Amino acid sequence: MLLKLAYFNLWRNPRRTLLTLSALVVSAALLILALGIFSGMMADILSSATEQYRGHIVVSRPGYQSSRDLFLTFDQHSADWTLWQQPGISALAPRLRAFALLSGVEDSQPAELLGVDVDREPLVTRLLPAVQPVGGVAVSGRAWVGEQLARRLKVGVGDELVVMTQAADGSLANDLLTVAGLFNSGDTGRDRRLLLVELTWLQGLMVLPGRIHELAMRVERPLYAAQLARQLQEQLPTHAPAKGVALEVDDWGRLLPQMQEAIASYDVSRAILVLILYSAAALGVLNTFYMSVLERSYEFGMLLATGMRPRRLKNLILLESLLLGSLASLLALLFGGALTHYMAESGIDLSDSIGPITYAGGSLPPRLHAVHEVGNYLIPLAGLLLVSLVASYLPARRAARLQPADVLRGN
Amino acid sequence: MSGIELQQVSKIYPSGHQQVQALVDLTLSIDDGEFCVLAGPSGSGKTTLLNLIGCLDRATSGTIRLFGQDVATCSARQLADFRLQRIGFVFQSYNLIPVLSAEENVAFPLMLRGVGRDERRRRALELLTVLGLVGLEHRRPADLSGGQQQRVAVARALVGEPSVVLADEPTANLDTGNSVELLEMMHRLNRERGTTFIFSSHDPLVIKQAERVIELQDGRLKADNRRCSAHET
Repeated sequence: MLLKLAYFNLWRNPRRTLLTLSALVVSAALLILALGIFSGMMADILSSATEQYRGHIVVSRPGYQSSRDLFLTFDQHSADWTLWQQPGISALAPRLRAFALLSGVEDSQPAELLGVDVDREPLVTRLLPAVQPVGGVAVSGRAWVGEQLARRLKVGVGDELVVMTQAADGSLANDLLTVAGLFNSGDTGRDRRLLLVELTWLQGLMVLPGRIHELAMRVERPLYAAQLARQLQEQLPTHAPAKGVALEVDDWGRLLPQMQEAIASYDVSRAILVLILYSAAALGVLNTFYMSVLERSYEFGMLLATGMRPRRLKNLILLESLLLGSLASLLALLFGGALTHYMAESGIDLSDSIGPITYAGGSLPPRLHAVHEVGNYLIPLAGLLLVSLVASYLPARRAARLQPADVLRGN
Repeated sequence: MSGIELQQVSKIYPSGHQQVQALVDLTLSIDDGEFCVLAGPSGSGKTTLLNLIGCLDRATSGTIRLFGQDVATCSARQLADFRLQRIGFVFQSYNLIPVLSAEENVAFPLMLRGVGRDERRRRALELLTVLGLVGLEHRRPADLSGGQQQRVAVARALVGEPSVVLADEPTANLDTGNSVELLEMMHRLNRERGTTFIFSSHDPLVIKQAERVIELQDGRLKADNRRCSAHET
């Protein structure tokens, strides 16, 4: 009966309740959408930094990631270790990296050569699938060139490039490459210096047969990559084939500390956004319940006279508020979910107005889109219930402190 | 046996910078099963006395003992429980809960006591039948006449089988016909159930029905007259 009483009490002044309800629903639904878009931006920037080049987890010799020392290599067959066949790891790809001077038709440019396994790399990063295949090109010596680099070298698909560098044995290495495709990763810095080549070709050029610099991995839950990387690092010494090979497992957070900070700052921004929006919503709830308590003082006096304990009266008002919050949460879930779904499916293309923005080691494409994340729903909805309860606490306490004789006397 | 005893009870209300003495050294006892009225002009202290007997307020000085218990020693929660178990209230303006039906209003004190749903319903319907409100149990207060609402209020006051029912000007908002009907009904319940009824009123109709008239003036006991019930005479 108390629940029923609370529910009907809520609708005594339908206009006021609806206004408060709509304020709560709009705040929470917009918050769900905003957090979804925030998450979408973070997912884009993280994906540009990891899924287009680095991978979520990278295994390499200690010190290689900071020094890019050509000689810090390990056996290519380590890619087949059973250690990597565990839940959470979606795919892995071996890589060899070198730095060389490229000469095109008219110009020369320094470049980073990334030797990749063309079958396995697309399972880890997205650079290769974006490449346009070119017919009639020799199997050996294919290259996929960043658009900016191609522009500087004044080469296009089908053109030849001369590669010149120092091989691992100290000899002068040079060869011809045919441009098989161009790529645009969205990161202009990367597109200005990166050249993808086939792994075996680069191993041959650098006189590093069967050797790689890193194993790049794609994981199922990128935000939890650090945990998985730690787990792999702990398991490495106990894995028989890995004995005697010193390897380091780095997650994207260690490889891109600025990205880690960007995500941490995102959490702070999210908290501030929640605080601002809900402070306004809390004032609305506070006003509604104060008005309601003032209007019903005489009735509360009667309830207290009938023998209702003050704490129970307080609970009745908190229950009313909880019902309002629950109803608002349900509607906000529907509206916020629908808006987020629309933004996840369609999004808004901003490429006519702005270009990609490079930020924290990643790049933000010119679009607004959202992603669904459980936390983006849980935080606003739990916050809404909390705000409803906290904001109605003072009016509820006031009601519980009423002296029935004073109220019934009209004071 | 005196269920209600007041010894040298005074009540002072602060009113701005002044103090209003609502009751002055009042000594009084009311036996179980009495049907009495507190009479007197406005401001004589009738409602204050009812509030003190009903544990809605505390005396400034003096002792109030209800069924052997000194109420001054009770906490707010104990007083709430005391009201719930031993006292029923009937207010001048009915004070029913507008969002609940007549039956739910009557059953409300039982809900506060933790009585089960079926038992609440059975007892509420039983009282509504006794009070002639059969068929109106699902109506909300706004759909009932003033007399019907006051009868629902009486049913609510009686449903917990309290020892005493306190009624503050219960007929003030009723026409003569409804007032007579209500008083006769309460008198019947007093006789049949032995419940003590204490009214505050300056309505001659109510005063005429009472077996005992306690007359107050300026917070003091002016007269205390016992007489035979109007129904017996």
